[in-house]
Amino acid sequence: MKMEDMPLSGPDNTKLEALVHDIYSELVEDACLGLCFEVHRAVKQGYFFLDETDQESMKEFEIVDQPGVDIFGQVYNQWKNKECECPNCKRLIAASRFAPHLEKCLGMGRNSSRIANRRLASNNNMSKSESDQEDNDDLNDNDWSYGAEKKARKRKSDKNQNSPRRSKSIKHKNGELGSSVSSEPYKYNYNTGISYETLGPDEVRSLLTTYFLFLQQCGVISEHTKKMCTRSQRCPQHTDEQRRAVRVFLLGPSAPSLPDADTVVESDSFDIPDGQTLMSRLQWEDSPDISPADSASSKASTNHSDSRRPKKKKRPSLGLNSGGGGSLTGGGGSSSSSSQSNISLSTKKKRPKLSAPSISSIYDDLN
Amino acid sequence: MSKESRMRATINQKLTEMGERERLKELLRAKLTECGWKDQMKAHCKEVIKEKGFEHVTVEDLVVEITPKGRALVPDSVKKELLHRIRAFLAQHAT
Repeated sequence: MKMEDMPLSGPDNTKLEALVHDIYSELVEDACLGLCFEVHRAVKQGYFFLDETDQESMKEFEIVDQPGVDIFGQVYNQWKNKECECPNCKRLIAASRFAPHLEKCLGMGRNSSRIANRRLASNNNMSKSESDQEDNDDLNDNDWSYGAEKKARKRKSDKNQNSPRRSKSIKHKNGELGSSVSSEPYKYNYNTGISYETLGPDEVRSLLTTYFLFLQQCGVISEHTKKMCTRSQRCPQHTDEQRRAVRVFLLGPSAPSLPDADTVVESDSFDIPDGQTLMSRLQWEDSPDISPADSASSKASTNHSDSRRPKKKKRPSLGLNSGGGGSLTGGGGSSSSSSQSNISLSTKKKRPKLSAPSISSIYDDLN
Repeated sequence: MSKESRMRATINQKLTEMGERERLKELLRAKLTECGWKDQMKAHCKEVIKEKGFEHVTVEDLVVEITPKGRALVPDSVKKELLHRIRAFLAQHAT
């Protein structure tokens, strides 16, 4: 008995205890009586023996109470020590490890396909301009550990020797890897849906232009992954200087300058139709060589600019037609005249801006 | 003596009025079910009924058979807890 429960002394105490026990007995008897009533009613109503109606199945499923066996009579760790032979690699694998081993061995199952995809994606063309953010993230993870970065860099330098993107990023690295890498014979030729190997430097330039102009991405080539930064023009990791450098490097000295927040030029109206003209020129010039995905992307961007058209508030005074063949010279002529006024783009509007006029002057150079 | 009986009456009254008795009953029932006492008692009932023949069994029969066994079979932990609570109540409310 606990001391705190005995507030009174001597005789009262025993009386209290007696009282406590009496109360307790009452409660227990109450419980018993309740049970009796319940059982009696069940018997009289006929539902008391319902679970005992089928003697046969009762014997069949009787609870087993033997050592080494569960209540159903099954031995529970029977297969723990057994080994199975894998049908694929013919090795003997422990039973509990058999299923995961098969998953990896046969190449089926979620995890193994994920690993394989990741490996393929990282070994694959890095020069996918619409690179998956996911792939970027996966590869960028390599950057954090120096060892992995070295390995990744080495792997990447081995592949796709023919990829035009590669030569540019090498130059960008101040010729560090430069000549040594470019002189290696190219070992891999990954066959993917989007193959940039067939593109010459011109086509890549046009592709990159599309990338910069239509998608308005930062574009600074990361030292680690040799990929272009896919963040917006205002991405905090890279400075405008870097962006300008990349554009100059990739597109030549007359590359369009970056959007400047200060100057607001009413040149938006020229951009989109020029862009479309531009894309059509691109398609024509490079049509035999452009891979399907490339033309798809340019078509996509053309469509994108199409959809943007109705939203414009200012109409161009030059009646530029989009995509028309006949407007080519007209577009070129008018755009070159407006090129001087048109260099910097406004960032006030949210639509991506195209400094098409300057670009078309580049293409004049290329042509 | 009458003082004592008066005190008992008061305590019992208080128990009921404050709902403590109901609470204690519920607590006891829950604990007994939990610890398997109820199933044990039911099994015993089955035997009694099979003995007496279930057509003619009466409540009295059951009560007579079940109650002593029931009282004995209450586990110690349940008993201790209940006693503790009753004592606590008395300590709080005894005059």
